[in-house]
Amino acid sequence: MEPLGESVMRTPHNGAVVQRRSKTRSYRRSYRSCLGTTSRLCLTPALTTRRLNASRRAVKPQTLTERVDPAHLALLVKSEWQLSYVTPLYQFRHTQLKSYSKQLSAFIVAERQQGLAVEVSELQNSYRVSLSVLQGLTESENDPETVLIQIHSKPLFAKQDEPQRSVWSGWLTCIQGSPEYLCSLSKDFTCLPLFGSRGPEYLSRVVKSWFQKTFDCCFGPLEINHTSLQWFVALWVDCHSQSNIQHLKMLWTVPAEPPLQIMYTVDPQDAWDLWNSVKKEEAAKEAEEVGCIELEEVSGYLEALKSHFYRHFRLDLSAGILTQVSTALGLAKDTGRIKMSNSRHVIATLTLLTECALLKMPI
Amino acid sequence: MADTLNLSDSDRSSSSDQSVTNRSNNRSLRIAEKERRKNEAEDSFVLAVKYFSEVEEGTPVFGNDQLDRNLEVVEKVAFSKGLSPEAISVLLEFAMSLCMGNSPCVRVLKCLIPASVVPQQAVVRAVVWLNVSKIPISTQVLFIKWVLTVFDLIDAKDQLRAIYGFIFSFITEENLCPYICHLLYLLTRKENVHLYRVRKLLELQSKLGRQPFLMHLLSLYKVFCPELVTLSIPSRIRSGFKSYNLPWKSALMGVQKRNGLQVSSSISSAFTVKEKSISRKRKHCHLDLPALSSALNKEPQSDLTSRRKMVPLVQLSSFSQMLKNMHRIELPAQMGSLLGSSLALQYLDCVQEESTLLRLNFWLGCALHEEFLFCSQTSEEALQFLNNLLSVQHFLQEGFSSSEAFLYKFLNVWDGSLLRPQILGLLSNIPVIPSTQIGRLLFEPLTQLFFTSSLFFKCGLMECLNNMLLKWLTWHSVYALEDDLDISLNSHTSINITLSGFKDSVMELVHFVGRLASLGLQLEGCNTLLLSFILDFYETASDTFLKFDLPLVVMPPPGVFYPALLATDPVSVDRLAYIMHRYKLNLTSAKSQEKRTEAFHISRQTFLEFNHYLVFMVNCLWNCRMFHANTDLHVREELLHKSNVPQPWARFDFIHHPAFMSYAVDFHQKCWPGRKAVDLDSIKQSKPWSWYLEYLFNQGFDGLKDFVHSSITKQVTPGDERGDSQRR
Repeated sequence: MEPLGESVMRTPHNGAVVQRRSKTRSYRRSYRSCLGTTSRLCLTPALTTRRLNASRRAVKPQTLTERVDPAHLALLVKSEWQLSYVTPLYQFRHTQLKSYSKQLSAFIVAERQQGLAVEVSELQNSYRVSLSVLQGLTESENDPETVLIQIHSKPLFAKQDEPQRSVWSGWLTCIQGSPEYLCSLSKDFTCLPLFGSRGPEYLSRVVKSWFQKTFDCCFGPLEINHTSLQWFVALWVDCHSQSNIQHLKMLWTVPAEPPLQIMYTVDPQDAWDLWNSVKKEEAAKEAEEVGCIELEEVSGYLEALKSHFYRHFRLDLSAGILTQVSTALGLAKDTGRIKMSNSRHVIATLTLLTECALLKMPI
Repeated sequence: MADTLNLSDSDRSSSSDQSVTNRSNNRSLRIAEKERRKNEAEDSFVLAVKYFSEVEEGTPVFGNDQLDRNLEVVEKVAFSKGLSPEAISVLLEFAMSLCMGNSPCVRVLKCLIPASVVPQQAVVRAVVWLNVSKIPISTQVLFIKWVLTVFDLIDAKDQLRAIYGFIFSFITEENLCPYICHLLYLLTRKENVHLYRVRKLLELQSKLGRQPFLMHLLSLYKVFCPELVTLSIPSRIRSGFKSYNLPWKSALMGVQKRNGLQVSSSISSAFTVKEKSISRKRKHCHLDLPALSSALNKEPQSDLTSRRKMVPLVQLSSFSQMLKNMHRIELPAQMGSLLGSSLALQYLDCVQEESTLLRLNFWLGCALHEEFLFCSQTSEEALQFLNNLLSVQHFLQEGFSSSEAFLYKFLNVWDGSLLRPQILGLLSNIPVIPSTQIGRLLFEPLTQLFFTSSLFFKCGLMECLNNMLLKWLTWHSVYALEDDLDISLNSHTSINITLSGFKDSVMELVHFVGRLASLGLQLEGCNTLLLSFILDFYETASDTFLKFDLPLVVMPPPGVFYPALLATDPVSVDRLAYIMHRYKLNLTSAKSQEKRTEAFHISRQTFLEFNHYLVFMVNCLWNCRMFHANTDLHVREELLHKSNVPQPWARFDFIHHPAFMSYAVDFHQKCWPGRKAVDLDSIKQSKPWSWYLEYLFNQGFDGLKDFVHSSITKQVTPGDERGDSQRR
């Protein structure tokens, strides 16, 4: 089993930011700040190690439909999203979404017709962009509201009266982001580290570039690593009693010549029984942590699945890596594509992904 | 005007009077003749200008000899010396008022070469004439081209800016449009950018299509008001306005050269749109520095009026401009763009806001992580990026926290050869690490790399660690002093690394290098190159107290001291002697200060170590008592016996030391040229010994000189065994 994502993460410390602001220049660059917070270009007094959580709560059946607009929820649930991570947005205001929409649509038009200037306030007839708050899609009070971006356009050879269709959509979210990290950022920054997009690649590129230019942030691809995929296996199988997972499919890539891909499909009832057998022992030991899934349980479960496979095919999957997991509840690929098929598990999925995205933050 | 004309008239007469009195001298006669001719020419020029200022409207052009003559005079003066501001005013007024129709107007415009400056008033009046008189379009174009040519010579621009709207109105004239756009580009200020002007330009754009002149003007509008207009310029478009075939340019340059004036900046360099790199397959999209562009979403609290006064960083092109606007510079939309401009870096040095630096760090960290940690490959772009980053850090004399955080991760996956100079350069910039973390973050990965890499990596790492120590000590010496003054004022702030914490970190670093160096020298067979880099480090480490005011002295380990002392090259021994000399100075001065102030304490162990080394060194080089009982070198008696080396205790004195043997032989030959047999021991006589030392010192072994002078008090012959090392 691969060790957990061990990355040394340095988080800005809020206290230091406030303190140092009050200082005079000479003191700001003085001995203490040079040593204590290392230097003035460094804002990180303490080195903290951040890892992927080793324990997480099992998915509670959540009725998001009561909190979130069903139309929005349907949009989130029905499709496959390409994920990226985003560094905190500078000077982003949830109250300015209308003006952002105008700017973004003008930007898209200007990018499409290179060299032709576009008036920002004008209503673009080729692209209609709407940025909106996806109300209700938060979990803890530190989480900034999720932002939904939709681009509508007419097809190239459309009739005059044909309505515009949605050609691209995306969202920026933060579900149960590490409060320590979120609070360490100054008020100028809004942390929405997880970005999902769906639609033509050039539009994704333009939208990203607009966000970069406007909020001085950076985008990077968010792969779902081996460990996170294993977590998805456990989280989804654990839900079987609430909603049928139908099947558990795992795609393994084994480094052989020629490269070997193995699709490992498990009957839902078998998967559930195996999970219970792994889980029960642990649960019996730590009665107080009921409702939590531990990392040991997850790895134990995967070990059990691998040894079962070995018994049948004499092939040890430990040598390979998990590249894709799917159940009726969702699909996750190591390339950073995710599909959430059931609205009840959206929060749990996004929580795990937010964590992955925060681990990617450079500072 | 008339007054000045009269004045020059009288000047002329007085000078001609003078020439009469000096008739006797032939030479002065010639000068006077020249003077007279010059004055005559001036005279006719003055008259010509006068003619143009007084000529009545409607005077016929054809057959007007007077006009022809005066035009010729003006042209001659204009192309040789240039025209004075007054003459330009008069001639421009004459031309633009179409006093005598179009053809003299064109002829006059073509010869308007200013000698020094162009009065703004004249240009403004001429622009007004554009609207009033019926000037043919081609002449209007000629006039605007002339204004563009002499734009930098116009003495002030405030009134021209005041009639910005008036000039803007000519933009609808299709033939004038490109030139008017250019003129507007030169005149535009933030307050000139309005939505109705943007709309007018967009309307023109829809009519004329993608025209470079419209694009450039609009992109300037975007710089000032990104909330009004957006535009993306294709990378293949050439930057800047077309440089027209301007008839005045060469003449103007000739005149200015002749007048000894600094050739003013040509109009095309009055602005620069940053040249975009040639578009290619973007594999390393994170490594592209963002372009400087103005921010779209300013802080909401700043109201419109204060925002009007802000100056975007893009608009500043010189240091003096930046100083003038220091208080109202608007930061660009993307902080990463600051790294691409040297001017912006100057500003970054003064930026105080934490969130600004955080923005920069987010961008930089992301670029480093994406390109080097998540998918590391070497490429020209990567190299350039890191070199740029290094020079920025060098300029700011500090490392960025994001590059520091990146390095801690990167060191664990680094093979030690990928972009080695750059990575080591970045590493040497990292700030002081608390001693509790330094092992995990730095020493563990570096130890692994050190022992698995080539000699060159070992040398490179030694150099890097030396630079790191040097920077840490420099920070300390600069800021420790300030802190003493400040600490009482800010006693409420928590101090998370104290002086002792800093000392611990430095000590850890020096000990770490000691361990690496000892083992490295063993592994590489005491390689001279490696030894030299190691001695570099100890040169820094030996001077911590005197040079950097840090009350900490750490001695080198035996694994470094003995290989250096017994090295076969004289340079290493000389440098070791210098280092020991510096250690001695530092320790003595620390000791005396310690007694006086009792503010710090240097460990007794350090003094013991130093004395131990010193005694050995003196015994070895001077006293010929190398295998003395209480030294580190224990060689069994029998073994020495077995080796058949005569007088083994004297084999490493100044004469027999392998590093100095050749010098001793050379000295011997020079001292006793007649002698056939070389007897080196004869140098040990009192007199030749002191000559020999003098000879050695003259070979450039200053370290040895300092060492001998400071550590050996009695100049006695070594044979006497009375040489004494000074001890504390």
